[in-house]
Amino acid sequence: MNNATREDGGILVLAEKEGQGIAPMTLELLGMGRRIAEETKETVYAAMLGHEIANSTKEISQFADRVYSLDHSLLANFQAELYAGALEELCRNLNPDIVLMGHTLTSLDLAPRLAFKMGVQIMTDCIQLSIVPETGNLLCSKPVYGGKVVTTFELKKKPFIVTLRPKAVEPFGQPRPVQGEIIDFDPVINESTAKVQLIETIREESVSLNKAEAIVAGGRGIRDAEGLKLLKELVRVLGRHLNRVELGGSRPLVDARLIPSSRQIGLTGEKVAPAIYIAVGISGSLQHVTGILGAKKIIAINSNPKAPIFGAADYGVIGGFEDVLPALIRKLEEFGCRN
Amino acid sequence: MSKLNVIVCAKQVPDPEGPADAFQVDSEAKKIIPVGIPPVINPFDENALEVALRIKEHHAATVKVISMGGQLARPVLRKALAAGADDLILLEDPHFKDLNSFSTAYVLASAIKKMEGYDLILTGRQAGDWDFGVTGLLISEILQIPGISFAQKVEIEDHHVLVEKLSLNGYEVVKAPLPVLVTVSGEAGELRYVSVRALQGVGKKPIETYTAKDLEIAPASLEGRKIVDLVSTNVRRECKFIEGVSPLEKGENLAACMKNEMLI
Repeated sequence: MNNATREDGGILVLAEKEGQGIAPMTLELLGMGRRIAEETKETVYAAMLGHEIANSTKEISQFADRVYSLDHSLLANFQAELYAGALEELCRNLNPDIVLMGHTLTSLDLAPRLAFKMGVQIMTDCIQLSIVPETGNLLCSKPVYGGKVVTTFELKKKPFIVTLRPKAVEPFGQPRPVQGEIIDFDPVINESTAKVQLIETIREESVSLNKAEAIVAGGRGIRDAEGLKLLKELVRVLGRHLNRVELGGSRPLVDARLIPSSRQIGLTGEKVAPAIYIAVGISGSLQHVTGILGAKKIIAINSNPKAPIFGAADYGVIGGFEDVLPALIRKLEEFGCRN
Repeated sequence: MSKLNVIVCAKQVPDPEGPADAFQVDSEAKKIIPVGIPPVINPFDENALEVALRIKEHHAATVKVISMGGQLARPVLRKALAAGADDLILLEDPHFKDLNSFSTAYVLASAIKKMEGYDLILTGRQAGDWDFGVTGLLISEILQIPGISFAQKVEIEDHHVLVEKLSLNGYEVVKAPLPVLVTVSGEAGELRYVSVRALQGVGKKPIETYTAKDLEIAPASLEGRKIVDLVSTNVRRECKFIEGVSPLEKGENLAACMKNEMLI
């Protein structure tokens, strides 16, 4: 059963929920969708999958021309096989030129499946998109080799399925005065196609690194819980000067199980853009640096004067963090007292 | 239960930890040329191999590693055998060079179909060269088996796979019947230590090699990547070093600098 009017073209944004609202990534997708639509004079659609999502679809309707609500009890929890099937049905009805998704764990679980079902190529982790006016093909730029090179690929077969890197584009600004239309789309959901069964959801602490004003991040140099304690102490004292200070780290710190993967920053973790980023004991591989390109000021503390992180930083301190951090923390504490 | 057939897909990539200047860009030829850095097994594929080897410790299992490319470095890939894999199978053909994700998945799936059965296929979540992160799931789609992404833990129980898969703010435990494909994330753990001695020990072990013809793949059916442009990334900033006679003094001066520059 489908109740979408069939009309070709348009840009379809896959909206994601985060907590009670819509994910910040969704506004970035809508921002990118709008930018392309200004050139191509196309419509920007958003689609949301889930159950009892009326509040979220209403919120999104302020930013999109039309919102497709795929509200179904079997879509209450993310299940990649069912979600991909439902999204395929919507795409076949809507025939969009572009399907924009976030480069998030959820969308990365969906996008290749959807591309396979639609028989088209997919481009992931894009930072820039543009339409070739003559051909209507899509040019997608994405960092490769851990961010060392940016490559532009050309997609020729519609729908162009693309995942967009978080923090790569400006989010859609102010809500528009006119709300987009909300359309219920009832996909045929065949439960038997779901071979992967959800047994349990384990919530680790919820962090929002992408909203942090300052991030203190540790790397391989941190080594143990003692080192981590100093980082946390710096987070605490910075919290007296700034709002939203978060602890993060590069992959070695996650692999050493010192911080959960939700706090990992870099190519396979979060991409962040805080006002201040303090990298402690992080050598600065491009896999990590590619995740902090949006930071306004980067401070690096490392005992190795040759560490590549200094090349990516605005301020550098050559020295062991065990000595540098206690002094820094003490001084910051003093400043706090004066205020 | 009979012996489990575990297949690990491992890609040879230029060492992703190599310095930025080791990746030279030839804009004319639209190629990236690694200079002076050795090829390695893609780190996430090493994580996948480690998962396979841990399963082998608890179950009767055979671990086969397959790798595809235009030209493969046998000494690099033999590391998989030295770590404990039973067989190494190379899909090597000039036509397999620089394929797009779909064609890559198609070649790998064709080879997997030719094997004597498979219960669990493991791949890394993405490769350290092009970072597409889609080949694993495409293989599962081609083979029409369940595909599970971003595993941090994989266990076999009663002819099912139990996977801890990463999700926003935590992880999910999911279950699926074998055969199944799982893509593995770094959280699963690094590949065990491989000694030089172990590497020497497998130096003469025969390696099976298949060409496009062996796999009955028409080269014309394979597609390359359509690259329009390549540019080196410039991530450099002007670094102002904080002075001081000791790390302690530098720490204090950094605090003062942060205040002066109105960062706090």
